[in-house]
Amino acid sequence: MIKKNNLKNLIVPIFALFLALLVSALIMLLSGYNPITAYAVIFKGALGSKTGICNSLVQATPLIFTGLAFMVAKKATLINLGVEGQLYVGALVGALVGTVDFHVPFIIHILLVMISGMIAGGLAGLFIGWLKVRFGSNEVITTMMTNFIIINFTSYLVTYPLKAEGPTAQSERMLPTALLPKLFAKTQLTWGIIIVVVIAILIKIFIDKTKMGYEIKAVGHNKRAAQTAGIKVGHVILFSMFLSGAIAGLGGAVQVMSVNRRFIAGFSADYGFGGISVAALANDSALGIIISGFIFGLLRNGAKYLNMTSRIPTEFVSVVQALVVLFVAAPLMIEKILNIFKKKKEIK
Amino acid sequence: MITGFISSILSLSIPLILAALGGVFSVRAGIMALGLESMLLFGAFTATVGSYYTGSAFIGIFAGIFGGMVIGLAHGVFCIRYKMNQVISGIGLNLLAVASTTLLMQIIWKNKGSSVQVTSVSLRLSFLKDIPIIGDIFAKQSIILVITVALCVVGWFVLFKTPFGLQTRFVGENPKAASSVGIHVHKYKYIGVTICGALAGLGGAYISIDSLNMFVRNMSAGRGYIAVAIAILSRYNPIYALLAGLLFGAFEALQIYLQGYGVPSQLIQMIPYIVTLLVLVIGVQNITPPAGVGAHEDD
Amino acid sequence: MIRTIEMKNIIKQFPLVRAVDNVSFMIKAGEIHSLLGENGAGKTCLMKILYGMLNSEKGTIKINGKVVQIKNPKMAIDLGIGMVHQHFMLTPVMTITENIIVNNEPLYKKGLFVDYTRARKQVQELIDKYNFNIDANAYVKDLSVGEQQRVEILKAIYRGAKILILDEPTAVLTPQEVGELFTIMRQLKEAGTGIVIITHKLKETLEIADCISVLRDGKMIRHRETLENLNEKILAEMMVGREVELNIRADESNMGEPYFFVNNCNLKNDGRDILTDINFEIRKGEILGIAGIEGNGQTELIEILTGLRKATSIKIMKGEIEIKGQSSDFLRAKIGHIPEDRLDRGLIAQMTIEENFILGYHNLSQYVKHGFLNLKNSKENTLKAIRAYKIKTPNEKEVVSSLSGGNQQKVVVARVVSQNPDVLIVAQPTRGVDVGAMEYIHKQILKLKKEHKTILLISADLEEVYDLSDRIAVIYNGKINYILDKNKTNQLELGLLMTGGTLND
Repeated sequence: MIKKNNLKNLIVPIFALFLALLVSALIMLLSGYNPITAYAVIFKGALGSKTGICNSLVQATPLIFTGLAFMVAKKATLINLGVEGQLYVGALVGALVGTVDFHVPFIIHILLVMISGMIAGGLAGLFIGWLKVRFGSNEVITTMMTNFIIINFTSYLVTYPLKAEGPTAQSERMLPTALLPKLFAKTQLTWGIIIVVVIAILIKIFIDKTKMGYEIKAVGHNKRAAQTAGIKVGHVILFSMFLSGAIAGLGGAVQVMSVNRRFIAGFSADYGFGGISVAALANDSALGIIISGFIFGLLRNGAKYLNMTSRIPTEFVSVVQALVVLFVAAPLMIEKILNIFKKKKEIK
Repeated sequence: MITGFISSILSLSIPLILAALGGVFSVRAGIMALGLESMLLFGAFTATVGSYYTGSAFIGIFAGIFGGMVIGLAHGVFCIRYKMNQVISGIGLNLLAVASTTLLMQIIWKNKGSSVQVTSVSLRLSFLKDIPIIGDIFAKQSIILVITVALCVVGWFVLFKTPFGLQTRFVGENPKAASSVGIHVHKYKYIGVTICGALAGLGGAYISIDSLNMFVRNMSAGRGYIAVAIAILSRYNPIYALLAGLLFGAFEALQIYLQGYGVPSQLIQMIPYIVTLLVLVIGVQNITPPAGVGAHEDD
Repeated sequence: MIRTIEMKNIIKQFPLVRAVDNVSFMIKAGEIHSLLGENGAGKTCLMKILYGMLNSEKGTIKINGKVVQIKNPKMAIDLGIGMVHQHFMLTPVMTITENIIVNNEPLYKKGLFVDYTRARKQVQELIDKYNFNIDANAYVKDLSVGEQQRVEILKAIYRGAKILILDEPTAVLTPQEVGELFTIMRQLKEAGTGIVIITHKLKETLEIADCISVLRDGKMIRHRETLENLNEKILAEMMVGREVELNIRADESNMGEPYFFVNNCNLKNDGRDILTDINFEIRKGEILGIAGIEGNGQTELIEILTGLRKATSIKIMKGEIEIKGQSSDFLRAKIGHIPEDRLDRGLIAQMTIEENFILGYHNLSQYVKHGFLNLKNSKENTLKAIRAYKIKTPNEKEVVSSLSGGNQQKVVVARVVSQNPDVLIVAQPTRGVDVGAMEYIHKQILKLKKEHKTILLISADLEEVYDLSDRIAVIYNGKINYILDKNKTNQLELGLLMTGGTLND
């Protein structure tokens, strides 16, 4: 009984990804591009060289953060679409803390940036949780609204009061003590990838082995039974939204510490929504998100490479991302398609 | 000046009202309408494409309606046939609409930001232009305004006075009960989401080829989510959706007028979203949707 | 004009179980036919096939000797078959009229709009014809359970039903309302309607039925037997297939001092009085039963006594200690709670037996240390409970939703009892549980009484309350006006009190 479920948990996401890639290939074909060469170029660019792999990991890092953030909220049945905004908030606050000279060694400065990013993102998440608990507001809409508000407001901040010298809407450059050291010279890959993997492992331990993780799961499955069991449902919801926002905020802070080195208006290449796809593909498993984040990271990186060499739009990856979310959520549909394949095999 | 302001309110409300009306029908049939954003955006896109290839805005409008219906139907298939989580279906479709329209934009017009200019709807209520005050407000409005109001009124009659409306509401409240008296539950749900898609598609078409004459990347700008809030606020009643839509349109108009006063545009652009947030927090506390939303008749 | 309906050799197969196994069943016009069986015996399934809500894999249905196809409820309705379900298929926010006419609406001449005036008139005429005593304009949410049931029956009659299937109709009614229902049934029988009543209530079967059929594990054990020479014990044994001990009675000896005190319990909500001045005390080793029709404040009282709802005023004492706070405080104070609806409040269906076994007690030091779960302890204790209660499962990591209803209830009982509570609040312990499991659970409750636990039993099943309790309180309209010793009253009297009657001595 359990074995069958585990197999199902693996087959559906893998097949969903396969289906999404197939549909995308079809669109490529219909638009006059050769999907086989296109995917070949994508994988060669993303995995074929040390630079390629490093860049794939760089793309993967923020996605793993947002994927984890989305998953944590989802465990309590909350759909936190606000990861995008929480990412921004964490990035801005982290970038600002990174410009201040605290006269501390760089490890401390980095920790300060990380913690400030977590707190900022956490508060943003907590706000959404509070709206839900206090007013019963649907978090899908409140998060989308706060996303727009945050993105606009942070953009305003770095266009006017916090703007650095020069024409671009961005904040001051962060001090070198606030930047994450690179893992390999001449690449963009920093310690950020190590941090996110550690966070993923910590989250897994948290959910499976702690009392709070148990309570979050209980609330996520059955609020009334949780309440009957003495669990303070409202507190659990607030906590999981805070945690979710904190992880996203940390992702933003890590992003400015490794890639951008300052806060740039509109910097997020849809990392927030990409996290939804990452979590969906990983079937909400913390360790699976590491793998799934890497897969989408390599797709994005490869697509950039493809775009540079052949002008094929990078949006194909966005289409794959969206399709993965849909297909993973429709296991009945996947089963039906798999059954068609089974039947074809039997006829043969 | 005031007439100009009221005129803006009307034209800005149209896509909101249409999308919200679509949401009303979808929810009344028991299917959540969080994918309104995708129906608006896709409708805006297909309308532009239709006008681009045929040179006719009229065809464009129908293309927009059709585009919205396709998304609505997809949402229906996912939620009804494959019992997908309705929230995820809506969100997934929203992601897909943004991704696919941006992709197709590049393929068709080789431009990531906007399309080329296309023929837009030019039918206005100009026969009113000589009437004082009314003329100032209405003469420049599109014919689609009249269609929108008419759809709201017709929608009210359909929902509350016809057998179809009673059966649909029954399906939305208690699909099991509806099934037990021989109602074909799936049929009504599919009709609900298709109507929703068509209406939102029309709203999207208005955004691209009526109030403007081109498609811009992500031009729905969250209006689909605002329309969900409008639908909730309207207690899923077509006439109230019309009124609530006008209210939100007023805030959008306010935003445009403030832009001329030196306040940074990013701050002003926040206004509609802040208003929606406040409405959701304060205004919708005791509104319950139909009891069977999200339920299946064979649970 | 239906004279007979014959179902022949019906087979209904689900993926894991054959719910109806080669069953033949006949119903005639003008008879009241009781279809008996335990939970899961296949009776509702069989009737759903007749009503077109399910399709059988094999078998035929004949009306007056002619074979018919019934693929969906609409076809059944057109053929003159109506069904009143156990869980009402009504929309509370709509009126009686709307609920009755939906999908069968009378139209204006133009055919576009519904003629609500004509509809209301037609419905009211039907209501008055059968003396149903309700108002066609009323909203269903404002009706009592008995009245809602009448709306359901009306729905079938409005559509021309000549054969009426009633699925467990008396489960939610008081003795008085059952009487009223039986009167209506006899009236309909006189008018030529054939009635199938699906039930597991043995007393009522003996009272109302003309003939009975018994299903067990999907097979027809007895068909169209008349009632001479039958009594409750024989019927129970037919249903279960072995000897059954009915009416397990409480042993009245051995009670200790008063231990659990509830004083001045009041609950006001939106200006309405839900509970008014509830007072009672329970001794150690005593079972106090609260009898009452659902909806008279029991659910709210249970919630207050388990910390799930805040009362307007209350004082709860356990021994010398006052109990207050939220559910976690009550659990910590060793007040055990077996909830009304196990899948709603008692268990988390998607979690494993082990995870459910610590639910509510996952804060205790035996299961948690420094915020981390003690998985070794939870596994050990769960395995112990599985053995002790004979819960049918391969291991403790099985998901609870895969267990049968009886085994699920066992998990709840095991969890609560293993924490050795001083006070036990038991709500509707055998709702939706068949005769065999009911027997087990009643024995468990009496065992706890013997161990000197203080037990509050709340149930809508009057017979259960009467059998198990030492004293019985009757709750009506949020008030407890009578607390009677069991041997100073009887079920008839209690039934009267449950509907607001008074004792006139």
